Amino acid sequence: MFDSDRFIQEKTTELANTKENTIIACSGGVDSTVTAILLHKALGKNLHCVFVDTGFMRKDEPETVKKIFNTLKVPLTIINAQTRFYEALKGITEPEQKRKIIGKLFIELFEEEAKKVNAKNLAQGTLAPDWIESGGQLRDTIKSHHNVGGLPEQMNLELIEPVRDLYKDEVRKIGLALGIPNEFCQKQPFPGPGLAVRIMGEATEKRAEIVRKACAIVEEELEKAAEEGKMTLPWQYFAVLIPIKSVGVQGDARAYGYTIAVRSVESVDAMTADYSKVPHEVLEKISVKITNTLKDKINRVVYDISNKPPSTIEWE
Amino acid sequence: MKVLVVNLGGQWTHRIWRRVKYLDCESKILPPDTPIEQILDSDGLILSGGAVRIGSGGEKLLDPLTEYLNQYEKPILGLCAGHQFIAIHYGGKSTPAKNPEFGQVEIEVIEENDIFKNIPKKFKAWTSHNDEVTEAPNFKILAKSKECSNQAMKHKTKPIYGIQFHPEVEHTAYGDQIFENFVRACKK
Repeated sequence: MFDSDRFIQEKTTELANTKENTIIACSGGVDSTVTAILLHKALGKNLHCVFVDTGFMRKDEPETVKKIFNTLKVPLTIINAQTRFYEALKGITEPEQKRKIIGKLFIELFEEEAKKVNAKNLAQGTLAPDWIESGGQLRDTIKSHHNVGGLPEQMNLELIEPVRDLYKDEVRKIGLALGIPNEFCQKQPFPGPGLAVRIMGEATEKRAEIVRKACAIVEEELEKAAEEGKMTLPWQYFAVLIPIKSVGVQGDARAYGYTIAVRSVESVDAMTADYSKVPHEVLEKISVKITNTLKDKINRVVYDISNKPPSTIEWE
Repeated sequence: MKVLVVNLGGQWTHRIWRRVKYLDCESKILPPDTPIEQILDSDGLILSGGAVRIGSGGEKLLDPLTEYLNQYEKPILGLCAGHQFIAIHYGGKSTPAKNPEFGQVEIEVIEENDIFKNIPKKFKAWTSHNDEVTEAPNFKILAKSKECSNQAMKHKTKPIYGIQFHPEVEHTAYGDQIFENFVRACKK
């Protein structure tokens, strides 16, 4: 079995040898937050936590991230880079290209930040599925994870990835052992490139606004249904924007809007998954709320009933 | 106990390593061109799955494995592509499956042998394969599914096992038990 105390003991001892200043890329998710706390234990003041607001964050995400770092008493620097991300992704539709552009821009921003605090190392909360799916040697590239496949060949910073041999269930155990609140440790995963990979095709500011609202509805409704005992809370749940138009009728008038796909899966480690058997009444509530909230932009909602494999959890 | 994992490029190779580590075995993931001297001191060997197409020429990329199968005398477990490679090495055949399987499949155990000990006769497993073993003359078939007649096999005289589905992933029921059974076979 996995022994989180032993892991923390071994890693902090090993990491305490890090001489130079280190910055850590924090997304506010479980992996990078656990890595930050682990590193903070070993490096103290020599660690600088950096959060980048890409403009593809979920509703209220930057505030939530600030709060958790406050609670954990670890200082956090926030970089507002929305415009740079929107600019860089203009006209880009191919998913791998999108992921690589995002990865590259992240590194540029971290390098700029590293200069300011004289850091020589970049720490990341990379997990096993990130580098596994990014390909290498005989292994096929399923998708380039921003923190692996998006890295430039030549980087000025030394990489530190203390949890790269772990999976989500294990990193959650470490979080708990480090004293991070259980509610936070059980938080659903959110991809590094954010909502950009939940928009099929070009990821624009306007589309991000649509999928952000749809994601918030999916989260609210499923969390509510779980609280009311109608179902158990799924492992991961979100909305995907499919910018293909279909015909509908809204208020007696012809509607011609985009489609939202609702995705909800059960997994342990993200390497295999099956779709959640969400009760129809819950799905219906989600569907009605999405079309009523997003009005002429969305007139169709579908539920994704594929497992992994053959699909992946996120659509891009 | 030392059980090594030979990486044929699978998405779940690292999961095999995790399964073996959880059983308190010393383990390492090695590329398939690792010199055989570096694997001979282990107690068991697992060949992972991979995207290579076994039976349509992909097996040539894995040439060094031939030497392992010829010289290694302790238990070997091949998973997916590893299973197919073992079959053709011993004179069998692997071809593109008429109905490839992805995701959930029901496995039916034909013969428990030692690898399916303490596991029900029918259980749900996760699959992901384009090719399948259609002939394995030196092996006993231990399990099948609706679409695939050889989901697991064991060599008639040697401690060599092949499994087409993926016991290393969480979604396969009794996956941990299958690895426990293999590790027990390595202890013999």
